[in-house]
Amino acid sequence: MTMPEVHLAGGTCAEALRLAPVAIAMRAQGLVTPVLIAAGPEPTAVARTWIACGLAADITLPASAGHSAAIRRYDQLWAARTPAAVVVRGDNLGAALAAYWRRVPIMHMDAGRRSGSLVADDADADRRLLAQVATVHLAAAPLAAMNLLDERVVPGDVLLTGGTAVEGTRLMAGRTKRPAKPRANRVVVAGAGAANEPVRAAMLAIAAQHHDLDVIGGLSMPYPERSRLIAVADVVVTDDVDLAEEALAAGTAVLVPGEGGGLTEAIHAGSARPVDAEAGEIVAAMAELLESRVRRDSLGLGGSPYGDGLAAVRIAQATAALLGHGQFPDPMPARPEAGVAHF
Amino acid sequence: MDVIGFWTRSWTSDDPAAVRKLLAPDVEVEWNLDAPVDDEELLQVQHRIAGFADKVTVAGETLAEDGATLVYDLVAPFGTARMVEFLAVADGRITEVRQVYDVTLTDRYFPGLYDN
Repeated sequence: MTMPEVHLAGGTCAEALRLAPVAIAMRAQGLVTPVLIAAGPEPTAVARTWIACGLAADITLPASAGHSAAIRRYDQLWAARTPAAVVVRGDNLGAALAAYWRRVPIMHMDAGRRSGSLVADDADADRRLLAQVATVHLAAAPLAAMNLLDERVVPGDVLLTGGTAVEGTRLMAGRTKRPAKPRANRVVVAGAGAANEPVRAAMLAIAAQHHDLDVIGGLSMPYPERSRLIAVADVVVTDDVDLAEEALAAGTAVLVPGEGGGLTEAIHAGSARPVDAEAGEIVAAMAELLESRVRRDSLGLGGSPYGDGLAAVRIAQATAALLGHGQFPDPMPARPEAGVAHF
Repeated sequence: MDVIGFWTRSWTSDDPAAVRKLLAPDVEVEWNLDAPVDDEELLQVQHRIAGFADKVTVAGETLAEDGATLVYDLVAPFGTARMVEFLAVADGRITEVRQVYDVTLTDRYFPGLYDN
């Protein structure tokens, strides 16, 4: 009997890192056949990320920038080779709309994540549309699930699985060679979108004060270099959710300039520290963290609230269940509240 | 005939007669709004959008042999809501319309849009 094909649509490297553990879990469970699709504006980089995870892209689509081009590429593929289900992660609206057009069920990983901004936000608008076309909403954290319920998504379609950045980071760490000798300098990884200017000014000031510090931009760096640097960094300064999530998974201290709307759970859990998006404030917070290993470790040891290391297995099981194989998994158990002893 | 272009121009300029001509008699209509839908309801809601919105723009368009996907920005006085429309075309008529609204912003910026 042939197993149903499930297409995992990777539109960015960060998506590829998070889809890789799902593909591995699907293969281990043996109920569906995962097919990895490298797509988006840089499909070669997506394919390279999978190679770094020990996988290979099954299909590489031509590069496409923007939703319209992405829908066209996916639709051409799915007209000829229609999958039983599609797994998309995060903001991959193009793949989701193409699947919806062909009436293919959509499993949406990291569903319900919102910026929390009160002003109009194009990214959130795309995410809300994606929520409207998804079949099963796989939320990484309870707050994300609540966002979906607030948008009148049917509760029975929401499953709290956790995110797969934890497994992706472990997978990458397990495949990355340790350097023969440690780096001479300490490392700070920085990458900010909205708070780019104050972070840049702060990093220039910090680098001038600390001559034993390498400040490295993390947003456009390919894997596995990005994972390697995050793992050895003393601090990661970012308002980018993907970069922060990987740092949390690696146990690295995270400083979040700005409102930190997309990282609310991590800030509440004490795993990430918010700071005003102002260069002086960022420099002061950085200096405090760089001087004190205890402060850094107290952040890093909080771990990631976006997954418990079993999300990929749950997502693979849920996908198989949607296609009539087995049952849906139990949701990710809630984390104990910080400071409360549980026996 | 450019069915998709004619459809878009017709409903965004609030021309229900032209819209009706483009719809096949047995057209299938779906949407994600919290109300039942048929071709008459669809025409009514499109008429209300075209009348209430400051403008309706096509933010994205993907054409296929037998249909199209269109992304619209519905610009209301206090904000913009996005809508995606999937069309199927056969013999010069639209045989299927599926609309997906950003219901949160549609309810906020187009109050009463689909009330009877």
